Amino acid sequence: MLDAFFQGAHQVFAFDTLIYMLIGSVAGIVAAAIPGFTVTMAIILTLPLTFAMEPLQGISVMLSVYVGGYTGGLISAALLGIPGTPSSVATTFDAFPMARNGEPGRALSLGVWASFFGTIISTLVLIVAAPPLAVVAVRLGPWEYFSLIVFALTIVASLVGNSLIRGLIAGVIGLGLATIGPDPMMGRPRLTFDMDLLAPGLPFLVVLIGIFAISQLLGEVEMQGKKVNHALIPKSIDFKTWQVMREVLMRPVNLIRSSMVGVVIGALPGAGGSIANLLAYDQAKRSSKTPEKFGQGIADGVVASEAGNSATAGGGLIPLISLGIPGSAVDAILMASLMVHGISVGPRLILDHADLVYGMFIALTVASFMMLVVCVASMRLFLRVTDIPKQFIVPTVMICCVIGAFALNNRMGDLYLLGAIGLVGYILKCLDYPLAPLVLGVILGPIAETNLRRALMSDGDWTVFFTRPISALFLAAAVLSVIFSIRSIWKAYKKDNGQKSAVV
Amino acid sequence: MTADTPKPAAADALASAATRARNELARLVSYIIFGVSAVYCAWRASSLPTSRWEPLGAGSFPKLVFIVLAALCLFAAIKSVVDIQRNGGMPEAVYAFGRWLKIRRISFAIYGLLVVYLGVLSTLGFSLATFGFLLITQLLIAGVTRRTVIQSVIAALVFSFGLNMLFADVFNVFLPRGVLIAF
Repeated sequence: MLDAFFQGAHQVFAFDTLIYMLIGSVAGIVAAAIPGFTVTMAIILTLPLTFAMEPLQGISVMLSVYVGGYTGGLISAALLGIPGTPSSVATTFDAFPMARNGEPGRALSLGVWASFFGTIISTLVLIVAAPPLAVVAVRLGPWEYFSLIVFALTIVASLVGNSLIRGLIAGVIGLGLATIGPDPMMGRPRLTFDMDLLAPGLPFLVVLIGIFAISQLLGEVEMQGKKVNHALIPKSIDFKTWQVMREVLMRPVNLIRSSMVGVVIGALPGAGGSIANLLAYDQAKRSSKTPEKFGQGIADGVVASEAGNSATAGGGLIPLISLGIPGSAVDAILMASLMVHGISVGPRLILDHADLVYGMFIALTVASFMMLVVCVASMRLFLRVTDIPKQFIVPTVMICCVIGAFALNNRMGDLYLLGAIGLVGYILKCLDYPLAPLVLGVILGPIAETNLRRALMSDGDWTVFFTRPISALFLAAAVLSVIFSIRSIWKAYKKDNGQKSAVV
Repeated sequence: MTADTPKPAAADALASAATRARNELARLVSYIIFGVSAVYCAWRASSLPTSRWEPLGAGSFPKLVFIVLAALCLFAAIKSVVDIQRNGGMPEAVYAFGRWLKIRRISFAIYGLLVVYLGVLSTLGFSLATFGFLLITQLLIAGVTRRTVIQSVIAALVFSFGLNMLFADVFNVFLPRGVLIAF
């Protein structure tokens, strides 16, 4: 075992591997920082470049793109209020207000450190708990998945903003949008109104870019009686790296809880960073003594979201390494890159290629350190984005969104959808609808429907959802979550009414 | 100050009630649009044929979702009407809408440009269409001066022709080429 470990370490710490990993880390961060470009896209673009490398060298480079990508999304989330990737949706809730309140450096720093610790914690869990967690993860049937999604849908209560009813409407609109296009089980077209444009459905990334990016960019240039050609964040930037590191470490419960949420969600096939960051944020808000401060630029919100999404990197490798089942699209590409080199990925991977598996653990750790170094060294450069006047940043980011939406499927139709969804997003934003529940609905809708129908196809009895222990556990958690939310909303309502009567 | 002039605090309260009523009116319109659309979609979903292989067909889940949406919109609309009445009745809708548009005129102008840009993208090609979009949008936001024109032309060139070259030559990702002009 020790031999295999040292063999793996020897390959990862080779000079050329480290250089390639550094380039990969920078590429991942930059790609994810551009709205519309995802970690998956960055990894796909990297894949052909690794064919000529040794298997471990290639996978190490891809892991550094992966880890860098999960962190890069926070840059545009914090500085522009636009999630760079689907995994950084929750980061916008607090990092962006924090940046707008004159602390862009702190917002970025918090995100970087939380991502770093999240990745490290997930790597530790991966090393220790990969086999048992993987066995549990793959035993989950459609009943458990559906119940998990029901539980995840209760997050909406934490994302509703100023109005519960508008939050619920936004969430259900998201679920509705996800039903457009081919039905996920039989492929039958539905709600396409005989339009070719809608026939393939609404790609999730196009909805995300339209709802968040286009609406945010249009919102940036609203006149409100002021000149609009100034910088997005006009105040000076203070970037307190070490102080912020301590600040993150002073929140051990939030950090570990969010990382564990990331690991578990990452280990579930089909779930991933896009759900983990919202779930971790929700859990942090519920357990906070000051939940009313979430959404106004609280450090706990940034830490939860970034630790949660980065921890899915390690979590996703659990079923991949233990059982040969990729937990997400990115893990599937990692698996493909190993298969290109003739390595069969499955339960025997750790027995037949122990050096490779240990090398992957080491590479993940090295990649997270590299991400940290790159981010800390280059953050001042990224922060210069805030100095660029709106006249340049708004149209240019809009073009990046257009390229991102087009490059997804090379389809012009996606761009027309982007335009339409962007307008809807902007109007919803103007009318004070929270946008996050809508995106959550679009993410969770197809997973919920597929698993509900799959479960009822296997066994038409609805009671199975309550008799299978893990499914019942998730449903009980969902009920508790709803009760907790109603209690919090009632408390806030009573507090508001008390203040109003005091004023009167 | 005469006895008829409202006190400043009372005037503020009146203005704030009017603003709330205006916002609520806009939301009421959105609830009605979403609600009616949801009823229509639920009806379309229920007309989908059922499957012989499974208890739930293709239409069951969307029908459930859109019925819930319609119910939520109905509830929100009723609440909205009550709120509008409480805040002094229906405001002058045309005036409110005009003011709402005026504040956001640059945003809507840029959105209009985006729509035109997306429309001509497949005809003019990425580079040319993007150059035009960037140039006009930048000047619209910053205003036309000699300095902004020079800056905007440089930025537009870099992010249209430059970006196209970067994607084609480095990433092998080919952005739309024009039908009329193959840039």
